[in-house]
Amino acid sequence: MRRYILQRLWQGVILLVLVTTIVFFLGRLTGNPADLMLPEDATEEDRQALIETLGLDAPIHEQFIIFISNAVRGDLGDSHRYRTPVVEIFFSRLPNTLMIVPAAMILAILMAVPLGILSALRRGGLIDKFSGTIAVLGIATPNFWLGMVLIYVFSVQLGWLPSARMGGFEHYVLPTITLGTFLVAGFMRLIRSSMLDILDSEFVKLARIKGMSETTVVWKHCLRNALIPVLTLWGVFMGGLVTGAIVTETVFAWPGIGRLTYEAVIFRDYPLLQAVILMDALLILLINLMVDILYAYIDPRIRLAE
Amino acid sequence: MKHRGLILGGLFSILLTFIFLMPPAAAAQKGTLVVALDSLGGQNMDPILEGRASHAHFQAPMYDSLVGFNFEKGGIGPGVAERWELAKDGLSWTFFIRKGQKWHNGDPLTAHDVKFSLERTMSKESVASRSAALRRNVKNIEVIDDHTVRINTNGVQVHFPASMSRAVFQEGQMMPKKYIEKVGAAEFRKNPIGSGPWKFVKSVPGDRVEYEAVDYPHWRGKPSFKRMHILLVPEESTRVAMVRTGEAAIASISPEAIKEVEAAKLKMISVPATMQAVYYLWGTYRPDQKDNPVADIRVRQALSLAIDRQQIIDHVMNGKASLPMPFATFGYSVDTDTERWREWTRKAFRYDPKRAKELLTEAGYPNGFDLKFANTALPGTPYMVQIGLTVADFWSKIGVNIKYKHYEWGAFRALRRGQKELKGAASMYRTAGRPIAVARYTSGFMSKSLSHLFGNTKKGMNLCDELCQSFDKLSLEVVQARDPGVRAERTNRMIEMVANSWVAVPIIEGMGYWAINPKIVGAFNPIPGRHEFGDVFERMPRADQKAWR
Repeated sequence: MRRYILQRLWQGVILLVLVTTIVFFLGRLTGNPADLMLPEDATEEDRQALIETLGLDAPIHEQFIIFISNAVRGDLGDSHRYRTPVVEIFFSRLPNTLMIVPAAMILAILMAVPLGILSALRRGGLIDKFSGTIAVLGIATPNFWLGMVLIYVFSVQLGWLPSARMGGFEHYVLPTITLGTFLVAGFMRLIRSSMLDILDSEFVKLARIKGMSETTVVWKHCLRNALIPVLTLWGVFMGGLVTGAIVTETVFAWPGIGRLTYEAVIFRDYPLLQAVILMDALLILLINLMVDILYAYIDPRIRLAE
Repeated sequence: MKHRGLILGGLFSILLTFIFLMPPAAAAQKGTLVVALDSLGGQNMDPILEGRASHAHFQAPMYDSLVGFNFEKGGIGPGVAERWELAKDGLSWTFFIRKGQKWHNGDPLTAHDVKFSLERTMSKESVASRSAALRRNVKNIEVIDDHTVRINTNGVQVHFPASMSRAVFQEGQMMPKKYIEKVGAAEFRKNPIGSGPWKFVKSVPGDRVEYEAVDYPHWRGKPSFKRMHILLVPEESTRVAMVRTGEAAIASISPEAIKEVEAAKLKMISVPATMQAVYYLWGTYRPDQKDNPVADIRVRQALSLAIDRQQIIDHVMNGKASLPMPFATFGYSVDTDTERWREWTRKAFRYDPKRAKELLTEAGYPNGFDLKFANTALPGTPYMVQIGLTVADFWSKIGVNIKYKHYEWGAFRALRRGQKELKGAASMYRTAGRPIAVARYTSGFMSKSLSHLFGNTKKGMNLCDELCQSFDKLSLEVVQARDPGVRAERTNRMIEMVANSWVAVPIIEGMGYWAINPKIVGAFNPIPGRHEFGDVFERMPRADQKAWR
């Protein structure tokens, strides 16, 4: 297992170097931040002066060498827009995202697991139809629209919850529902289909013949096996949500990583963009590594196969 | 019992004394003014680290500017300096500093702070939008006494005082010399102090900036609220919802939200003349474009006549916009014959598709022609895209075959530099409301400018015909004319030259739009031409102080 983890970590390092290089060069193809920082009537001289101040006047390969040599020392540079170290900005926003994403995940799992299991057990029944409808709605409903509707109903009309922004417990309710709805739908359908496959398998039939209770069959034998594809999806969603909850963060004025990435792209803030993508890549790698380790825990066959 | 009466009487007298001595409750500072904005720029609290317009939202409350605003008409007025004068030789400006001003730590604001602030803004470290221009224009700065400072300029700079006002740019913002020298720049950025009517409390990046009102009289006005929070809320419907629920008192909005705001019985403020939506026709002077239809002035005029501006005002801008004046010219523009130009635009910007067709026929294009059209929206004005689409539709109606392409603003600005893809094409553009038109003209039309719409003499190019040469000469005369009469005459000639070229044509004069919760904020007037409220917050009463009519 240790060898496996080390191997994955080494692959991760190579991937990070590749990602950094690609982002560094591709980012610069999209325009110069000086153009976006200056007013419309700035002169060529103003522009040149700003480019020099931002350190963008050197040839691109020299800029890359400087960036890499600083990066290996842990210095990813200062944001052009915020004029503060990018690492500092990233870590000031990360906790905000890490508060909302797990909340949405918990909501999704709490709803999806029982509904998915019940749908599979009562295939074609009322619960199955109901959860199917929920799934279709959850997947088809755009996040931003759901967020706006929730704000209109629960904040503007009923006055029960705040419209936006971070704060106490009540501030988490609407963003969590908005972010979690899509996840509920995805998880639920996956659990249902996995459960259906497993309920029909030979080892489940054997367990039933042996006289095991239905609860043991479902919760111990079926669910544990059904969770393997769910875990894969969890890894994908988790990585995607940490870096890409842009819509929810925008609608609810939540200062997280998704919005930071969006701003870095829009304002051509190269150092920030490089840092955010590098950190995001690192996070996704760690999440995937965690998922791989959990695989081995849930399914001993994976461990044995190695 | 006798004593009890005396004691009660005494207590009653003391109570009465307190009641009479205490200021009326309405006059006391209380509550929190919460403002929801679509952008906080880089949210830098150090004036030399912020280069874009949002500084006028969140820096303006705490920093004063050397030159201020004319609050009634728009344009410039007294600021930290109560007056200023040009030397007889035209090579220096003397600013007379208002007495009794102080920094938030109690230190007095003097001419030494003015010199320090301008030199800091001119430093290499500064990314303030016009720091390079300041370096170019200022020779040196002399402190004459604590309340007088002289700025020696390189050549005559007649518009220099205007550039020290937030009505034009941000470079005139004052910073505390003693404090910065004592604590250093890094500490100043974390805990800045200014001299404005609001004191800095806290900045949470990507979320908010918090302030506390000063409790002494300030020349800009003493705030009615005790505290102020400026929040970053990027989504417009969320901002409106926050105003409706009272979570925010004020929010910036776009024309699309006007109907929703009115339906919700919120107060809507439209700040007049904050911008012009315009279209440009690029590279019409170039020899390789001589066969391009837009090289013909009749075609260019036809394109303007084909646009029904009133329809755009009524339907895209929900009635909250007006017919524009010539390029970058507003009712408050200095050295400008506004009456003459209002009259001119009434005729010139009429909707006359019949005449447009006739002009196209005269120019040899009775069946229209192909025209590339680059649509884009500048930050803060997303409705420009819709205006651009409507303009394209109007042009199609007179037979112009539009080759439409939309550009994200950053991509468009990059495109503008080389102009290869824009040769002979039309594009959307916007010019912000500023009282000095000449800066927009020089950056748009001079042959060495970024846009160089009349000709190009950059990097060894020699594409500058008679119109281009005349414009270059005239624009230099405008910025150096010390006699106000001569300056006004030259300015109006410059406006005329551009207006008659039909190369940069205004579509509408836009406004700044704000949704206000009238139960929290009372009636106030914005500064004409200034969308941002950073210089207005202290003039906002609470609802209990002054109700809206």
